[in-house]
Amino acid sequence: MDFFISLFSDPVGFWNSHTLLISQIGINGIVATSMFLVLYSGQLSLAAPGFMAIGAYTSVLMDLNWHTPFVLNVVAAVLLAGVVGVLVGLPVLRLRGVFLAIATIGFIEALRLGVILNLPITGEGLGLKNPNADPLGGVPIILVSLVVVLFVVWRLTRGRLGSAWSAIRQDEIAALSQGIFVARYKMIAFVLSALLAAYAGALEAHLNFFVDPGDTQYGVTRAVQILTFAVLGGSGYVLGPLVGALIVTLLPYIFEGAGDYINIIAGAFLIAVIIFRPQGIVGRGGLAIIRPAWWPRARLSAPSPG
Amino acid sequence: MNRSRLVSLLVVTLFVAACGSTGGGGGGGNSYAGKTIKLGAVYSITGAGGVYGPQSRDGAMLAVNQINAGGGVNGAKISLTVEDDASDKAQSAQKAQALIQQDNVLAVLGPTLSNSAVAVHPLAENLKTPILATSTTGIHIVPDCNFPDTTPCKYVFRDSLGEQTAIPDNIKAYVDDSHPKTGVLLVAQDDKFSSDGGKIVQATVGQYNIQLLKTIPFAKATADLSPYVTQAVQLKPDVIFITSLGGIPAKIMTSARNQGWQGQFLGGNGFNTATVSKQAGAAGKGARSASAWYIGNTFPTNKDFVDSYRKEFNKDPDQFAAQAFTGVLILADAAKRANMSLTSSSLASDRDKLRGAMESVNIQTPLGPFQFTSDHDVKQTVWVIQMDGAGGFTLVKSIQPS
Amino acid sequence: MDQQIVNAIFIGSIYALFAVGYTLVFGILDILNLAHSAVFMLGAAVTYSMVVNHGQSFVVACLVGLAASAFIGVVIEYICLRPLRRRQAPAIAALISTIGLALVIVAAVEQGNVGSFFSWLWVDGANSVAFPAGTVPNPTWHVGDLTLEATKVLIIPISIALMLVLGYVMRFTQVGRGLRAVAENPRAARLMGLDVDRMILLTLVISSALGGLAGILFGLALGDISPYIGRDNVEVRGLAVIVLGGMGSIPGAVIGGYLLGLIEIVALVTLGSNASGGVAFAALFLMLVLRPQGLFGTRLRERI
Repeated sequence: MDFFISLFSDPVGFWNSHTLLISQIGINGIVATSMFLVLYSGQLSLAAPGFMAIGAYTSVLMDLNWHTPFVLNVVAAVLLAGVVGVLVGLPVLRLRGVFLAIATIGFIEALRLGVILNLPITGEGLGLKNPNADPLGGVPIILVSLVVVLFVVWRLTRGRLGSAWSAIRQDEIAALSQGIFVARYKMIAFVLSALLAAYAGALEAHLNFFVDPGDTQYGVTRAVQILTFAVLGGSGYVLGPLVGALIVTLLPYIFEGAGDYINIIAGAFLIAVIIFRPQGIVGRGGLAIIRPAWWPRARLSAPSPG
Repeated sequence: MNRSRLVSLLVVTLFVAACGSTGGGGGGGNSYAGKTIKLGAVYSITGAGGVYGPQSRDGAMLAVNQINAGGGVNGAKISLTVEDDASDKAQSAQKAQALIQQDNVLAVLGPTLSNSAVAVHPLAENLKTPILATSTTGIHIVPDCNFPDTTPCKYVFRDSLGEQTAIPDNIKAYVDDSHPKTGVLLVAQDDKFSSDGGKIVQATVGQYNIQLLKTIPFAKATADLSPYVTQAVQLKPDVIFITSLGGIPAKIMTSARNQGWQGQFLGGNGFNTATVSKQAGAAGKGARSASAWYIGNTFPTNKDFVDSYRKEFNKDPDQFAAQAFTGVLILADAAKRANMSLTSSSLASDRDKLRGAMESVNIQTPLGPFQFTSDHDVKQTVWVIQMDGAGGFTLVKSIQPS
Repeated sequence: MDQQIVNAIFIGSIYALFAVGYTLVFGILDILNLAHSAVFMLGAAVTYSMVVNHGQSFVVACLVGLAASAFIGVVIEYICLRPLRRRQAPAIAALISTIGLALVIVAAVEQGNVGSFFSWLWVDGANSVAFPAGTVPNPTWHVGDLTLEATKVLIIPISIALMLVLGYVMRFTQVGRGLRAVAENPRAARLMGLDVDRMILLTLVISSALGGLAGILFGLALGDISPYIGRDNVEVRGLAVIVLGGMGSIPGAVIGGYLLGLIEIVALVTLGSNASGGVAFAALFLMLVLRPQGLFGTRLRERI
């Protein structure tokens, strides 16, 4: 509970001593938004950690070998991820649902186990040390990025792209019969999502003195975590995945009191939230109260006592 | 003013002056009475690092309780806040930052895993806070915590025996006894600890004219390691080197013995827990590693440690408990000599004083006599141990620090 | 190479046994049950604990381990799936609820230490353990260059027999016909008077018992039981297997299991061990791109 007490009693001190946590929330928020883009267009893609790895390794390797400026590294990393996104998207986007999910798992694990862990330049299993990291100074750029990303994605969902994505998500065949170029719109969402994930990966690498090829970083474990952000938060609204990222990242602090049993409580919490809010926390009715089905509905219709 | 009052006033004045001067002199007599020495630790209590973290926590808390029960450090009580990083690098750095900047601890112990350490140590260096690794054994921990930048890190120390010492010592000890000609290396390629160990084996074997027939890397999450072991065994090496941790070394030993291979297993810190010996059972008998600590040592600091740990926790301590226990002893000894002010405004200078005092630590610990090298690494006796085939270890020999 | 083929067949049997339960649930519910790997682990952990900490014979321990696994099947249905079905939740929600349950199960075992709340379940925390020597007799035969261990050899007929029984049940019995009807069209099955909820519960119980059995056999033959054996060894590979064989197809899962075991070994022998981890996933990727219905799948489903 110390965590929340200090949050409210000494917000400035809290902010200064939790910049890493706040940065991580921001990064997770950007990745969650990347997940939102694919889910919003009806694609269950779990490729985000692969693109994060491309972003992280490209930017750090450019810095280590060529000493190029950070901005250039990030731009190059994001562009490379875009290219890879197109190449991966071309064959896999025909797949739907869980098939797409598994194909993208194949992609991220083949990339991690087959490529990253075996190239001398990526440091193999040793990972990459990143001595120019700036763990404490990243907050402003990350939070500004998050706001910009959310705004842009929100605008997109309100425009022609957004209505095409919605149509595809609701019924791909109907969308096709209405003359929507389903393949093209799906590819746009997939590549945008790859760009965002790579951007988040590059930022995350900039926060850390160490780029780690482990499963929790760029493997299935991370993919599942990112999916959890989006589904828990709700993938129908731009803010949903961000809320999911915020809650999941804060779980260790929210349930600090559970001590060693924290994961049991956190797991039970996940189940409870998804059962009571299957559409996610941010769903129809906005930030609705968590309410089980058997809970008495609408007070409005209750007879008023005169 | 009568004579007796004058005398007593004089005595009091002298006494106060005397205290002041010893305090200013930096000797052992500075008093911290009534104050608190705040320390923090980041250990992996949950997640895969839970194999090591809980013992580290228990060992450290045992030392804190013993010191406080014995009157503290020059009168100051030690308070130790242990944070769980859930074996996650990002959480590890977050928890360390909060300990340093919010809880204002003087020094931090940990983190448990090498992957986390390479992220957290440069952070502590940045924030000018002493950090003492008690379980990480990889390369580029000390002194080059910012590798590839090789500037020595001033605030990073380690009391755990690095693989860079342990693996070569172990190989040398075995070469002195038998004269192996060929070896095969099985290395888990996807974690830093194991990869580091593999690199060290590759760099060491040449010195002793052991021909490394093949290096066989594998991913940690490999269901059945038998195919890899088959590859190794078919080459009929004298030695199989294993650099990995968790349940993997025992799995490899079992599979190799089942396939009829009779040679010698050599390894690193990944062998050094009783659980590995127990899991390997008869297949592990004779497998050798170099350890920072040996439970059977009977010198007093170790015997007292083992006895009180057993009494407190109803189980045997392990290397990680001993190293964390030692970590607190080191910080307490440094604090005793550091002549800190221990006020809220003196935090930065206190951390610097503590750091300075840590460099000259020279104490008796459960690991044996303990000092830091000029690189802030351990300088201690290394114990070569072998599995006894029944869940324990026997001591083969001890190697004095060079 | 010969020994490597033996290795491939053995691990293929484990993959197959694990994946059959996985694919059974997918075939009937169109849901990926991500708690299946936790059930695999729990079966092994409970059996070990019954033998070593509670002093039971191996047979009794196995029965308790299977019962515990089957019970988790009930938990999955009542807690993770049925409430979501009642609310007509999207299938993706079931991914999260089963992940949550997996987290709970793994964490409960991980926190099982001497003196902790879960000490009745497990006392070795995050450590790996093996059944003590002699729990089951394990003679080893050397035939030519080959090494054959009894525990590993035994797994092959057990897996095949169980899968044949399951295939028979699905095809020729009343229950099997009911299950297939539910798989085909749950609403029509309900209209025909079938108790759909009961059928689903039965599916989860059978699936989880098979998953638990795979875990027990894995722990017995490989000498490795820890809270993470499911997550590390079979969770993702299980997905690969059911895709290779065709989602929802039981014979497909069996063949897919052996195929994955073989792919991994061939990659190891021909390309070297560095590549072998990546190759299995690259194969998975290619399979989906070239033949998404898998080797034996006949229809593609659109729901996730």
